[in-house]
Amino acid sequence: MKPRKESIGARFTRRTFIKSLGATAVTSAASFAEVSASEMKAAREEMPLGPGAVPVTLRVNGKVLNLELEPRVTLTDALRYHAELTGTKTGCDRASCGACTVLLDGEPVYSCMKLAIDAQGSEITTIEGLARDGQLTALQESFVETDALQCGFCTSGFLLSATALLAANPAPSREDVKHGCSGNLCRCGSQPHIVHAVQQAAGVKKAPQVELIPMNREDLA
Amino acid sequence: MKTWPDTLEHLSKPRPRVDGREKVTGRAEYAYDVLPQGWLYAVILRAPVAAGTVTGIDLKAGRRVPGVRAVVLSQPLPARVRFYGQELAAVAAETREACEDALRAMKVQVREEPFVVQELEAVHPHASRVFEEYGNISKAKESRQGDPEAAMEDSSTTVEGYYATAVNLHQPMETHGNTVRFNGEELLAWSSTQGVFGVRDGLAGAMGIPLSKARVITRYMGGGFGSKFPAGAEGRLAAELSKATGGRPVKLMLTRFDESLAVGNRPSCFARVKMGTDSNGRIKAYEMTGFGCAGYAGGGSSEGGSGGASFPANHLYPAENARIDQRSVTINAGSGRAFRAPGHPPGVFIQESLMDQMALALDMDPLEFRLRNDDSPIRRKEFELGAERIGWKETYRKPGSSPGVIKKGLGCAGSYWGVPGGDSNAEVQVNPDGSVVIRCGTQDIGTGTSTLVPLVAAEVLRIDPNLIKGEIGDTRFPYSGGSGGSRTAPSVAPAVFDACVNALEAVAGKSGMKDVRGEKWTEACGKLRYPIVAQGEWKKGPLSSRGAYGAQFVEVEVDTETGFIDLKRIVAVHDCGLVINPLTARSQVNGGIIMGIGGALYEDRIMDPVSGVVLNPNYETYKLPGMADIPEIDVVLLNFPERGVLGMGEPVHIPTSAAIANAVANALGVRVQTLPITPAKVLSALGQTGDDFYQRSLSDLQRALQRVNEVASLPQETLSEFVV
Amino acid sequence: MKAFSYSQAQSFEGAVERFHEASASRYLAGGVDLLGEMKDSLLEPDQLVNLKPIPESDSIETGDKAWTFGPNVTIARLEKHGALRERFRAMAEAARHVGSPQIRNMGTLGGNLAQHSRCWYYRHKDIECLKNGGARCYARQGDSRYHCLFTENPCISPSVSNLATALMALDGTIHVLTENGEEEWSVEDLYRDAWRNPMAHNSLAPADLIVRVVVPDVGRRSHYLQQSDRAEFDWALVSAAASARMEGGKLRDARLVVGCVAPGPYQLEEVNAMLEGKALTADLAESAAEKLLDKADPTPENAYKVPLAKTLARRCLMALVE
Repeated sequence: MKPRKESIGARFTRRTFIKSLGATAVTSAASFAEVSASEMKAAREEMPLGPGAVPVTLRVNGKVLNLELEPRVTLTDALRYHAELTGTKTGCDRASCGACTVLLDGEPVYSCMKLAIDAQGSEITTIEGLARDGQLTALQESFVETDALQCGFCTSGFLLSATALLAANPAPSREDVKHGCSGNLCRCGSQPHIVHAVQQAAGVKKAPQVELIPMNREDLA
Repeated sequence: MKTWPDTLEHLSKPRPRVDGREKVTGRAEYAYDVLPQGWLYAVILRAPVAAGTVTGIDLKAGRRVPGVRAVVLSQPLPARVRFYGQELAAVAAETREACEDALRAMKVQVREEPFVVQELEAVHPHASRVFEEYGNISKAKESRQGDPEAAMEDSSTTVEGYYATAVNLHQPMETHGNTVRFNGEELLAWSSTQGVFGVRDGLAGAMGIPLSKARVITRYMGGGFGSKFPAGAEGRLAAELSKATGGRPVKLMLTRFDESLAVGNRPSCFARVKMGTDSNGRIKAYEMTGFGCAGYAGGGSSEGGSGGASFPANHLYPAENARIDQRSVTINAGSGRAFRAPGHPPGVFIQESLMDQMALALDMDPLEFRLRNDDSPIRRKEFELGAERIGWKETYRKPGSSPGVIKKGLGCAGSYWGVPGGDSNAEVQVNPDGSVVIRCGTQDIGTGTSTLVPLVAAEVLRIDPNLIKGEIGDTRFPYSGGSGGSRTAPSVAPAVFDACVNALEAVAGKSGMKDVRGEKWTEACGKLRYPIVAQGEWKKGPLSSRGAYGAQFVEVEVDTETGFIDLKRIVAVHDCGLVINPLTARSQVNGGIIMGIGGALYEDRIMDPVSGVVLNPNYETYKLPGMADIPEIDVVLLNFPERGVLGMGEPVHIPTSAAIANAVANALGVRVQTLPITPAKVLSALGQTGDDFYQRSLSDLQRALQRVNEVASLPQETLSEFVV
Repeated sequence: MKAFSYSQAQSFEGAVERFHEASASRYLAGGVDLLGEMKDSLLEPDQLVNLKPIPESDSIETGDKAWTFGPNVTIARLEKHGALRERFRAMAEAARHVGSPQIRNMGTLGGNLAQHSRCWYYRHKDIECLKNGGARCYARQGDSRYHCLFTENPCISPSVSNLATALMALDGTIHVLTENGEEEWSVEDLYRDAWRNPMAHNSLAPADLIVRVVVPDVGRRSHYLQQSDRAEFDWALVSAAASARMEGGKLRDARLVVGCVAPGPYQLEEVNAMLEGKALTADLAESAAEKLLDKADPTPENAYKVPLAKTLARRCLMALVE
């Protein structure tokens, strides 16, 4: 490791050059022979955005959403409050509970720790994007059938994690389901039924019946 | 029709929830999700110290932030602060970002004062007083039965133990909060609450408007577990902000950070207990000295917090001769609120640990010792069924006798919860096409109430449940009590039953037909000229009763070199009278057990003795059981239709931590005496860590209990009045 | 979070240039650590420079002598990479234990190595501890259950990077673009400043950029273990990593490392030396583990870490021959 020098002051960079041309002058800078068109494009891509609101384009559930957002707006808040897709929930805002789980290019992520501006270019799937034309997926049906939910607040997140799990592993064991959904918390205690639901949807195992033993006073004597 | 039918067509059958579809598609709207026209985001500014006086807050700086529409104080200044996180002010703005900018801008001037945040410190004379007027220990609540001293003297075997449990947080997935629209005259709140009427009363009272001008709606809510009854400071502040903006809807939902500070907790409990048995191994004497800690003000003042610090003692397998002495201890921390069977999980942990200690002293199988002393036929049956299911007879070993590094253990514990149903009303609208709407001002806190309503109606009317629409969660509907105490099913089911019986009578009358149930229904309704409405209410009677029991068994493996506890299997046998829906009932049992796993192994709200803050105000270090922490849970439900409907949300949570603690002690041959049982404490109990925090905490516990014992001889005026 | 501007880097050098165009920039990779600190006002950058667009920054190059990883390789890719698991099991296992599936999908190798302290005093929005410029280390008198057994400075917050622990056992190197140009650091170098300076999380200056991680392939067996309170999605209380070549049943170039007990992953030359040329037995593993923890200086709250670290170190070594 080399010892450190004094911190470096402002330097002349490509960006300061572009800035020096002025905003509108960028497009007419073709006269500057040493700055190629591709360099100009690259320079524009590197221009800082914000801190005020800027256009942000998100592809959500197959649709294009054109929003105006500050760079600091999280993907969760963009979805919930700017696109009014409130199926994605805020549970902790700190990547600890999974209620905000969405799929980015098919992979589950915590949307609370993703800047909306940083989610551009990805295919975003939220809970609202699972069912097609009102037809629930097998997993959604299975959650309802096996009672894999109680208050329902964690349900969106679990469904997205489980959807991704089944896409990667169509015949998961109990341990696979637990590991695949380990990033989702549930306080009501639906975890056992969630395991049932995922395995049932996958066709691996039907959920067990509830054991109900009829009793009356005579049986206790 | 006065009782549940002998043959059930719709009840006691597994049925999916009627709101399942809404929940799995993300269409269910919680208070967090409601976005009325012109809504504003809101946040609370909280005290950054555990004790002190706030002399100034730069509200102007907050108001100057672009996008901010209102800033209100929570209480006039100067304001006394008695716990870290106490509400000081609130901001409403067009965006969340503007709210956060405003919080940063509003500097707080505070004169810090000494504080005490640890229960075992708070009892000693050198500790800071939370209130100047009195010390941190309360007057005692005492009870005596028989002659405990003589009975203990006479006992052929006595055992003694001392135990403690930690402060636990409710941590519902949806935080507390409301979206409130209040223009100064009429108020509408979408609330995440367990009691729409309680919130309505609270908000109307705080805003000074008649009840008739306030409405609260809870279609869906993300869990409460006892902490979401009052409107709270969070509700009041939302209403005040809305009023300050001329009636714009204000969404004030707490952050996860806030949840850990100021909206309630399960008090910590500390006790020394002693038990005496006769030569037949029957319990004859019991003594308990203990205290609980429900934060500042003994649990009574978090704007509706209701949760004293007491816990039951000598209630399972009771001794005829008993002396129980309990107090409340105050610290500078957020106030307790009722939490799923308040006092019972710690109380049962203490009692059931002592039971296992006594069984060991008697050289008796702990299950046999319980059966010898359990006078409840239902619970004895549950113990027997559970024991068979887990293979107790074949697998039980004496404590610590499991060979090898990974030690196996078995434990069990019993449960009882005796709260009956009560005030609930419902109305039934019958349409000429035979379709039915039932309205009841109850709420579904995740337990399946919205599914119960059409199922009960279908049972009485004997029609297809799909013809029945249940509507709940609105103060425009007939009054029903808050959803807590495991009272909802035994209150609402009889009310709906009664309303439907009255509807049958009304339809019969109007149609001129005699029995209009079942296949006669459509014809009879067709004779109605317009929709009719019938009312009904809960009445004391055979439709519901009280007293639900349970028995839980746990099998564990403990790695004695790492201290890690691996739950292998849990068996739970429970009753709740007439089981309305076994599928949702099993969800309840799982839920209670998993919450009990949390209390046994992970959950602990940790206060920092140096700074006075909550050290783990998040899901990262306040740890809930995750998917991989939950073993196979084998649930057996007993269906007792002749007992009517009983609630089960709480009895299923009561015994779990006790059963786990007993299983761990059985595995190790030594007992970890304080919850949660962490790997660190296991290694300490096994003697691998020297004089560490856990060993010191046990001496601190003994000293604190000793001190609380002595305090009885102090002049009375130094004791606080907080009710235990 | 406070407002900030946002730019995209198209190259490592470009990223550094972008960085210097604002007064308080931070690099954005996975963002899980950074955004958490920003939400609690621990860091208030005025610009974020997104590193993810840098071409080839998430590549994995498998070579005969060494593997080279771009800094933006996600933890999930490391977890699922079959050949990695065969070649460098410690790394794959360390990756498998990072957070949750969602975190592994977002988090990067570079980010995991560079992550900041998880000490609950440091992370608390209302506490200004030594590490964030305050006057004292609160953990020393407060609750130190998750803190260091070894330290050389007043701050006792340990490093908790799973990948760093595994990489130390594999002799991995981290290539860093600093103001001096590109430097090659050992894992020890990466955490050297954290040992010396209570305000440092590691040796990276804010403008420094991890540009690649290189793991030599010399035929080592390796393993990684950790123990947490919960079975998954929980920070390790203690972790351990071990590696060695086996030649004729004898250990060669063995490494035994424990994590989460010091400002960086912790190994001792004399412990590695005592394993050299020996057959691995339970007794030898136990002696090595004992010696590795010999200088431990626990607090009352973290005393449990000593027997726990010994157990994990011993089991991790033994796993090499299982």
